[in-house]
Amino acid sequence: MRDIKEILIELCCSYTIISVGGSIYNLIFGGQTNNVNVIVMFVFCTIAVFVLSLHKLLTRFSPLFMIIVQYLAAIGLCTLIVFILSRIAYISKRGWIEYLVSFTIPYIIGAALYYYRVFADTKKQDAIIKEIQQAEISE
Amino acid sequence: MKLNLTEDKNIREEHVDIYYAKMRPVIKQLIDTVNSERPTLSGRPADEDMDDGEAVMIDPKEVYYLDHIDRKLFAYTRTGCYRLMTTLSACEEQLWNYGFVRVSKSNLVNIYKIRQLKPDLNMKVYASFDNGERICINRSYKKTFNEYLQRMRRISQ
Repeated sequence: MRDIKEILIELCCSYTIISVGGSIYNLIFGGQTNNVNVIVMFVFCTIAVFVLSLHKLLTRFSPLFMIIVQYLAAIGLCTLIVFILSRIAYISKRGWIEYLVSFTIPYIIGAALYYYRVFADTKKQDAIIKEIQQAEISE
Repeated sequence: MKLNLTEDKNIREEHVDIYYAKMRPVIKQLIDTVNSERPTLSGRPADEDMDDGEAVMIDPKEVYYLDHIDRKLFAYTRTGCYRLMTTLSACEEQLWNYGFVRVSKSNLVNIYKIRQLKPDLNMKVYASFDNGERICINRSYKKTFNEYLQRMRRISQ
């Protein structure tokens, strides 16, 4: 139950950030969106948040492996949605490329931030351990 | 820490007075020693050639880490590996104030013996020890590990 609550909060936050970010981008660069795009964006957010929330099941694997597996799972599911949509509405080749790029780039940025955080946190923890050991020696 | 020892042949009851500014692990350890509650680990050499059937008392300070494999618990020290006849959770409870923290389902590490904490390229974080061995710090224990370090830092200051 707690997990579902957390997932819903994460979904709300990520969708708000992406939709506000998209609106700002459209205001600056003069783009526009439509109702289908808004719904697709929400579906993508739901898939991404759900797939990323499964990280607890992958703790025995390395984070790098987890990131790659989650990326493949998320992009697979999103591509399936886009493929179903392409049966209803026409999606150009450029549309497919833009979809892949717009999904992959934020994911890579997120993964890089996570990578940096792991290294920074470890460095900090290592410094704390040295500090504790030093305090023990001086006693 | 300053140590005052006074020999008094006429004393009826031997006693220890401890003056401290803050309850730090070292003070807690002294109290445990006086109360005869200082934990020691009882084990037998894991190497059968070295096992003469007698239990060996192991000072937790000498232990790098505890490893639970195939329902058996082992303690690794500079001198060797010992099999302990207790459980990992019992050791965790007993050695909480002595620098031991759980880093995975089957490992308890002594933070005073960690030489370096370093992540691999695949982002797994490892604690390296003087004996050249290393133990992986599981992601699901990261928060507990961090909180433990913060707590130990606070009380060691």
